Amino acid sequence: MKLDTKFMLETFIDVLGGVPVTLKITIVTLLVSVPAGFMMALSRAGNGRIGRRIIIAYVSLIRGTPVVLQILFLYSLLPTLLNYLIKEILGLEYNIFRLDPILYAYSVFILNTTAVLSEVFRSALSTVNQGQMEAALSIGMTKTQAYIRIIVPQALVAALPNICNTTVSLLKSTSLAFMMTVRDITAIAKIDASFGYNYLEAYLVIFFAYILLCSLVQGVFYLTEHSVSSYRREKAIRKAPVMQNG
Amino acid sequence: MLEVKNVHKAFGHNEVLKGVDIKVDKGDIIVILGPSGSGKTTFLRCLNFLEKADQGTMDFDDIHTELKSASKSVITKVRRKTAFVFQNYNLFQNKTAIQNVMEGLTVARKVPKEEARQIAQQALDKVGLEDRYDYYPSQLSGGQQQRVGIARAIAVNPDVLLFDEPTSALDPELIGEVLTVMKKLAKEGATMIIVTHEMSFAQEVASKVIFMDGGVVVEQGSAKQIFTAPKEERTSQFLHRVLKDYDYVI
Ligand SMILES: Nc1ncnc2c1ncn2[C@@H]1O[C@H](COP(=O)(O)OP(=O)(O)OP(=O)(O)O)[C@@H](O)[C@H]1O
Ligand SMILES: [Mg+2]
Repeated sequence: MKLDTKFMLETFIDVLGGVPVTLKITIVTLLVSVPAGFMMALSRAGNGRIGRRIIIAYVSLIRGTPVVLQILFLYSLLPTLLNYLIKEILGLEYNIFRLDPILYAYSVFILNTTAVLSEVFRSALSTVNQGQMEAALSIGMTKTQAYIRIIVPQALVAALPNICNTTVSLLKSTSLAFMMTVRDITAIAKIDASFGYNYLEAYLVIFFAYILLCSLVQGVFYLTEHSVSSYRREKAIRKAPVMQNG
Repeated sequence: MLEVKNVHKAFGHNEVLKGVDIKVDKGDIIVILGPSGSGKTTFLRCLNFLEKADQGTMDFDDIHTELKSASKSVITKVRRKTAFVFQNYNLFQNKTAIQNVMEGLTVARKVPKEEARQIAQQALDKVGLEDRYDYYPSQLSGGQQQRVGIARAIAVNPDVLLFDEPTSALDPELIGEVLTVMKKLAKEGATMIIVTHEMSFAQEVASKVIFMDGGVVVEQGSAKQIFTAPKEERTSQFLHRVLKDYDYVI
């Protein structure tokens, strides 16, 4: 068997056109899910009982079901429901089936990523010891000030490696967006391949496209981590010059 | 200046404080002694509202409050007049030494940044860290970290400094540098309440020694009286035990 390299090059160029869509889904999802997940982690650490129960239920529901199933559910159920709502209850003339499918993609991935990140932030918050909160209170800071200036910045740094993992797996699962007829990288490759049945070549091309994108994400996180966690990194360096004083 | 009466505190069924009183005058150096689990830390934390007592009253200059029902504004006022030095330093890990000290000034008291920096520098100089302003806690030794903790406490100019076993997490060779700083503060007239197991330090600086056991104050008096002529059996047993250990270490 011979690979059709000309087809592969053409597909690669086509696929580049899908990169913005893939990145857009990833970024929009993160922009919503990072703050939402953080708020959830914070309110779980607080003492509202009902809120905590709801969050726990939500997280286990999402994490206990496959993303594919969530997509199938949302994509088949939501339009019908919305259509009913708009037509029958609000009495409006709007064809819900003309809605940009990317909105469904946002919904699924936001629901998913928020659940994952709320767990990430919960464990990150628990790595900042309670003593620092007490120290902040003891010098007259309020709880909110202590959270904003002391606890949250450290929790974010502690969470960075896991946020990176979450982002990479989010980026990969956006490939399921084709199921919702979103024209992302995967969808474009499948369409190109369907003309001449060059599926193998098309999949090889996006294989590399995803590797490239994921490496890029990891690189960005690596640099970020190094620039914000200087206060922890120094630990290893400390041993070198022993300077005594006092 | 500060008088606290009849402090009770229980954790579940475990009654830790069973009516503790303390009276502090300006310039007092009060040392609290007692066996492990006697409630010393809990008592100190109640004074700063890090722990909410179940019962008891506090008179602090013009403030009068029940400990249990103290309002937020009273708690803030009391915290402004006190400062706590913790056993495990509890420095802000994401801030440098000088930022740790400035935080209570700029954030909690809205002191302008430049002024705060000067106060913080003075405080760090006082504890002998004039060459460590920009070091993160993770770059400092335990003794240096605890001295930053002390600088953070004195920078906010509190009426009373509270110390909870400030040296017990330190390697023996680092204890001296922290005690030296505390002696210096004592000499300058700071008012302090100190929980410690450092007996010779207690003997040297205390203007009053309180011996606690089982959640009550068993005995109190001058350092000389407590160490040389304790009235209560439990006090002399405790001193006998720790002073023996102490000799043993030397
Ligand atoms: N947050 C808490 N929850 C439950 N029990 C607690 C809590 N804090 C303290 N205790 C209990 O209160 C008792 C007194 O503790 P405390 O720390 O005040 O003793 P201490 O005199 O400071 O002892 P040490 O010399 O070992 O520091 C102990 O039995 C301890 O188990
Ligand atoms: Mg203690």
